[in-house]
Amino acid sequence: MTASPILDAYRLETEPKWHQTDDEIAMFSAAYGARLPVMLKGPTGCGKTRFVEHMAWRLKRPLVTVSCHEDMTASDLVGRYLLGPEGTHWQDGPLTLAVRHGAICYLDEIVEARQDTTVIIHALTDDRRILPLEKKGELIRAHPDFQLVISYNPGYQSVLKDLKESTKQRFCALDFDYPAAQVEAEIVASEAAIAQASAETLVRIAQKSRNLRGQGLSEGSSTRMLIHAGRLMAGGLSVGEACKLAMITPMTDDPEIRAALSAAVDACV
Amino acid sequence: MIPKYAQPCLRLSMPVSETHIRPAATAGLADPLETRIAAAHARLVGAGYGVGVPRAYQQAAPKVAEHAGPDAALALAEAASRIAIRARPRVAAQFLDLSVPMARRLAAAESFGRWLGLLLGVLKPAPDALAPLLERMEMLHQRLGIGPLEAWVQTGLRLAGTDLALRQAYFTLELPEAVRLLERHAGEDTFHSLEGELRATHRALWGQSPPIREALPQAKGTAALRASFGAGVIQLPASYGGYRGRERLIFKAALAHIGAHMAHGGPRFQVGQLKPLQIAVISLIEDARVETLALREMPGLRRLWLPFHDVPPDGMATTPSLFGRLARALIDPDFPIRHGWVRKGVEMFRAGEGQIGSPALSRHIGNILGNDLGQTRVQFNARDYVVQPVYRDDNLGLWDLPPDPHEAQQHHHIDIETHDLRRSEETDSPQEHKTERADQSADMPPEKIVPAPAASGVGRIVGRLPEYDYLAGIERADWVTVKEYEPAPGDPLFWRKLEDRQGPLLARIRSLVRAAAMGRQKRLKRQAEGERLDLDAAIEASIQLRARSTPDHRVYEGVATPDRSIAVHLLLDTSHSTGDPVSLTGPSIIALLREATGVLAHAMTQLGDPLAITAFASDGRDDLRLVRVKQFHDDLGPLTGMALSGLRPGYSTRIGAAIRDAGARLATVPAHRRLVLILTDGEPSDIDIRDPDYLVADARRAVQSLNSSGIDVFCIALGQGAGQRHAEIFSKRGFVQIDRLEALPEKLPALYLRMTR
Ligand SMILES: Nc1ncnc2c1ncn2[C@@H]1O[C@H](COP(=O)(O)OP(=O)(O)OP(=O)(O)O)[C@@H](O)[C@H]1O
Ligand SMILES: [Mg+2]
Repeated sequence: MTASPILDAYRLETEPKWHQTDDEIAMFSAAYGARLPVMLKGPTGCGKTRFVEHMAWRLKRPLVTVSCHEDMTASDLVGRYLLGPEGTHWQDGPLTLAVRHGAICYLDEIVEARQDTTVIIHALTDDRRILPLEKKGELIRAHPDFQLVISYNPGYQSVLKDLKESTKQRFCALDFDYPAAQVEAEIVASEAAIAQASAETLVRIAQKSRNLRGQGLSEGSSTRMLIHAGRLMAGGLSVGEACKLAMITPMTDDPEIRAALSAAVDACV
Repeated sequence: MIPKYAQPCLRLSMPVSETHIRPAATAGLADPLETRIAAAHARLVGAGYGVGVPRAYQQAAPKVAEHAGPDAALALAEAASRIAIRARPRVAAQFLDLSVPMARRLAAAESFGRWLGLLLGVLKPAPDALAPLLERMEMLHQRLGIGPLEAWVQTGLRLAGTDLALRQAYFTLELPEAVRLLERHAGEDTFHSLEGELRATHRALWGQSPPIREALPQAKGTAALRASFGAGVIQLPASYGGYRGRERLIFKAALAHIGAHMAHGGPRFQVGQLKPLQIAVISLIEDARVETLALREMPGLRRLWLPFHDVPPDGMATTPSLFGRLARALIDPDFPIRHGWVRKGVEMFRAGEGQIGSPALSRHIGNILGNDLGQTRVQFNARDYVVQPVYRDDNLGLWDLPPDPHEAQQHHHIDIETHDLRRSEETDSPQEHKTERADQSADMPPEKIVPAPAASGVGRIVGRLPEYDYLAGIERADWVTVKEYEPAPGDPLFWRKLEDRQGPLLARIRSLVRAAAMGRQKRLKRQAEGERLDLDAAIEASIQLRARSTPDHRVYEGVATPDRSIAVHLLLDTSHSTGDPVSLTGPSIIALLREATGVLAHAMTQLGDPLAITAFASDGRDDLRLVRVKQFHDDLGPLTGMALSGLRPGYSTRIGAAIRDAGARLATVPAHRRLVLILTDGEPSDIDIRDPDYLVADARRAVQSLNSSGIDVFCIALGQGAGQRHAEIFSKRGFVQIDRLEALPEKLPALYLRMTR
C-alpha cells in the first residue's frame, strides 16, 4: 500500500466537495475494494470528474486524469522513446505511470480515442491486470493500488462511435445524471455562493433546457453551467444576463432554440 | 421550407412605360387629353368588346388621369384592350373599374405603370388568374405594397406551373400555402414564421411535444381567430391580424396558456344542463385557475399574459366588458374592482385557494357567477362570442361537446385540404386529372390505390437508351424510349408535415449528420509534407539516423482536406406493386418510400451533397416513365415536396434502363464520388418481356457499365424475399435487404452515411 513518491504531485491535498446523491460512494468504494474497473456514465458536466476526485481523496490515492481525444494514440497513453542528449530514453505515459506506481487512472471520454487505444486497456481490465509496453519490450504488472476509471457519455454514441462490447463488459458501471432538483440547487448554492432561492430558479431553468435534449439540443444545461451562471450572479449580473452568458449562448446557435431558451428563462423569473 | 425563388421581376417586358405613357410635354398642349381619351374610347367601342368596356373606360379614364397622370389614363385603354382579348371583356371592365381606386392608392404615375405591368405580365402566361387577382387586388395591395405583391404573384405562377386548378386555388387564396406566402411577403410574424420557435418553446416549458398545427379556416371560410386545443393537438391561428408588431407575443402567450391547460387541466367538463353563458363563465374561471397554477412555477409568464388584459375597470357593464374585467382581476392583483359581479368572482376564487388544484372549483364558481349574470338584464350572444383577451383559446378543448361536424373536420384538416384541391381540380381543370389524392393525410393511413393512373398527362420523349440482350450477346442501340412525365401535383406542405411526423427522427439525423461531417476532417500521420512535425515519426527517424540506417523522410503531420463530396441520384421504383400495403393495415410501400426519401433528402441537403431524385416505372420498351422529382439544382422547396408526395404507383419495373438514365445524368455532376441509389420492392419485369432472365441480365450489364465509368450503384431492396435476384444484378455487396419496412425512414440515412463514409 505504499505508493512511490513519484506520484505525490497527483495527490489531492484538499477535499473536493461532493454532495452525495445516492449510494454512489459506497458502490465506488466496493468496486475499488475488489480493484474492479469502473465506468461512469452520464451527460457532460453532471459531476463525474468531481466524483472521481472526491473518491481518490477519500481513498487516499493519487489520481491521474487523461482527457481522451480523437487523435490520441496508444503512445500518448503508454509512453514513448524520447531523444535526449545521451541518446534515446523511455518516458512513461500517464497510464503507465498509474499502473506502475499505484494510482487511480481516469480516462475521460474514452470513446473519443481511437480504437487501437481502447484495446491496450483490455489486458489491464481483466483478471490479468497487466500492461504490455510493446515498443519497450516490457510487461508491467499493475500495482495493487491501481484502478482504472473511465467516463462515457451515452448521449454522444452514434452509429459511428461507440464502445466495443468487449470493452463495455469489462467494467462495473455507475449511472450519473443531473441530481434531483433540491440537491442540485444545494450544490449550485454552495459552489457558487448564492442564495438558495436563486439557485432554485437556476435549476428550474436548467430543467426546462433539459426538456430540449434530443430536440434541438444534444444536452440541456449541465450542473457545471448552472454553477457558472450562479457565479456570475454572485458577481452582480441579473438571472437573465447570467443565463444568457453562461447557458444560452454557449449551448446553441440555432435562433429558434435560443428563443425557446430565452422564453424559459423569462418564464421562470 | 420556402424555396429561394429567383427575385421576381414582372416589371413589364411589355413597353407600357415607353410607348403608351408618353412624356408629359406632348400631353401638355391645350387640353388634348379629353380628345385623346375620346379617341381611345372610340377605339374600344369599335373593337367590339361590347358596351361594358368602353363605358367603364369612359368613367375611369378622367379619374385615373387625375391621380396618376394623363399618360396613365391613355395606357389604360391599351391594357383594357389586351385584357379583353386574352381574358374576357368582362375582366377588362372589372380591371377598368378597379383602376380608379388603384390609381388613388398608387398615386405616382410610375407605380401605376408598374401595376399595369404586373397585370399584363400575368395576362400572358395565365389569363385565367387575372379575374381572381383583380377581385382581391385592393386587399393584396394594402397588405403587400407593389414590390412584394409582384413577388407574391410571381411565386404563384411558379408554384402552380401549368396546373390550372392549382393556379386558381392560389389566386383565390383557397390554397393555404398562398395565404402563408402572402403573410410572409407582407413581412408579418405568422404561425409559419414562428412555428419552429413555438414548438421548441413549448417543449422547453412543459416537457412535451404535442402536435402544433395551423388552424384551418372555419367552416364559413373565415380565418380562425383564436387558438384551440383538443385530442392532444394544438391549433394556432395562421396569423393574428390587427396586432401588427405584437404577433410574436400573442403566439407565445397563446401557446403558454394552452400549455397551462394541458399541464393543470382535468378531464373535459360535461355540458349537462348548462347554458351557454355558464359555459363561458366556467371556461373563464378555468382559464384563470390554470394560469394561476402555472404562475406558481413560472412567475415570468405573468409578464407575457398581462399586457393583453387591457379592459378598463369601469364603463358600460356589458357582458364582454364584465368578462374582460373578471379575467383581468383574476390575474392582475392591482386591477381596481368596481363592479359587484366581478368582486364576487374574485372573492370566491380567493376563497377557493385550497381547492385550486381541482377543475371542480372552476365549475362551482362559474356556475354561480353565470347564474347571477343570467338573472340580470345583461345580454349574452353565444353565437358571436369570442373569448378575450386575444391570447386565450376558444375553450372547445375544455368541454365534452356533442359531436359537431365542423369540429370533426378541424381535427383532420389535412383531409379538407386535399378534398378542396380535388374539388377545384375536377370542376376547373380542362385536362382531366383524375389522380388519387387520398393518401396525403398526416398519419399515412392505408390508402386506396387506383392502379395505373393514366392521367399524369402525356410523356415527353427525352431520349433513347440501349438495352442488352444476353441471348444474342449484343447491346441494341436506341432500344428503350425515355419519356419524362410532369409530376402529379401533391401536397405543397409535404416538408412541413414531414417535420411534424418525423420531428424527433429528423433531429436525431441532424446530429448524426453533424458527427459525420466532423469526422471528415482527419489528421494524417507520417506525411512527406505538412504543417508540423509528427512527433512519433520524427523520433523514429532520429533513432534510425543514430543507428546509421536511412530514416523515413515522412515525418510531418497534415490534415486531410474535407473534399469528400458525393453526388447521389436516387431512383425510386414506383411500379404497380409499390401500391401494396406494407402489412395488412399499414401504409403502402410507396408512402413509406416517399417518407424515407424525404428524410434522406433532408439529411443530404445538410451534408451539402448534391442530390437528384427520379421516380421510374415502365410500360414496355417504348415508355420508360420518369418523373423528375428533384434535379440536382433544385431546392427542397414546396415544388419538390409536391412532386414527391404526388408520386403514384403504376406500371412495371425496367430497372436497367432507369439505371442507365440516372448514370448519364450523374456523369455531368462535378463530384468526388457518384452514386446511383435504387429503392425497389421487386425484381425487374415489364409487359413486353416473358423471359425472366432478360431484364436481370440487362440490369446487371447497366450496373457494370456504370461501375466502369466510375459510378457506384447501390440497391436497397424492400420487403422479404425480394432479394433473390438482387445479388445477381448488384453483386452481393451492392445491395441490402430491408424487410422491416416501417424502419425505412430511420434506416435509410444511417445506411447512406455508412455507405458514403
Ligand atoms: N454531487 C455533486 N456534488 C458536488 N458538486 C457537484 C455534484 N454534481 C455536480 N457537481 C458540480 O458540477 C460541476 C461539473 O462537474 P464535473 O466537471 O465533474 O462534470 P463531468 O461529469 O466530469 O463533466 P464532463 O463529462 O464534461 O467532464 C463541478 O463544478 C461540480 O462541482
Ligand atoms: Mg383557455
